[in-house]
Amino acid sequence: MGNNVLLVDDSSTMRKIVGRSLRQAGIEFDNIFEAADGLQALEVLEKESVDIVLSDINMPNMDGISFLREKANRPNMKNIPVFMISTETGDDIIGEAKSLGAVGAIKKPFTADMVNEVLGPFLK
Amino acid sequence: MDIGQDIVNAATDVFSTMLMIDLVVGEPVEGAGVEVTSNICSMLGLGGDIRGMLAVHCPAAVAMAITSGFLGMDVDTLNEDVKDAIGEIANMIAGNLKIAFAGYGVKVELAIPTSVVGESYRVGGMLGARRVAVPFGMESGQFLVELKYIVNG
Repeated sequence: MGNNVLLVDDSSTMRKIVGRSLRQAGIEFDNIFEAADGLQALEVLEKESVDIVLSDINMPNMDGISFLREKANRPNMKNIPVFMISTETGDDIIGEAKSLGAVGAIKKPFTADMVNEVLGPFLK
Repeated sequence: MDIGQDIVNAATDVFSTMLMIDLVVGEPVEGAGVEVTSNICSMLGLGGDIRGMLAVHCPAAVAMAITSGFLGMDVDTLNEDVKDAIGEIANMIAGNLKIAFAGYGVKVELAIPTSVVGESYRVGGMLGARRVAVPFGMESGQFLVELKYIVNG
């Protein structure tokens, strides 16, 4: 695939697992950037060229929903696609995420195949 | 509500999906009476239609084995990676329980997990809460998943 991905999760373990799952799914990126919350994610998006964001929802400082809301207000990053990776799978919260621009969602726990199933069609 | 079975389903799903480990499932116990020797505990608050707490209690060997499985590398101390990994286990089990509670028409909100490491600690509080605990086994030892909750009246 090439290009750059940003992984947003307050768990460094989960960021590593998501990165490994992408590789296991055969989805390779030139660079994997990481952020521990929405605020850090916005900082990365201001500085780096990012093609896709995979973000948790429940995070300290700025959660995934607030991150989407803030990102949507910034013209330089509002069109970067975001997929949610979260234990939160209710229609209400995923619906809110999609209304704020999220493209899709992956439920934790997940396998590399599940990541590929959601991201694969988008990346083709 | 069969919360004991819901805990079993939630935990076995997390371990089989994320770690490819088939847990040995113990008998769910309601109230006091089941404990495991623990060196690390990850707790996560529950809100919404209930007030509660989910806790995962692990001896060091189990916690390090789980973390090694997550990271794909040997882990031999109870470091920040271990606290983070057990917190994620608690988070994902709680996420599955949230879905189970939704099936009973009970809306649950999840907080962010906190992990504690120590030789001797007790988790108290929540007078009048219902407590359901399930011991699980894996190659490196036993751990306990404990749920305490009160349904808001």
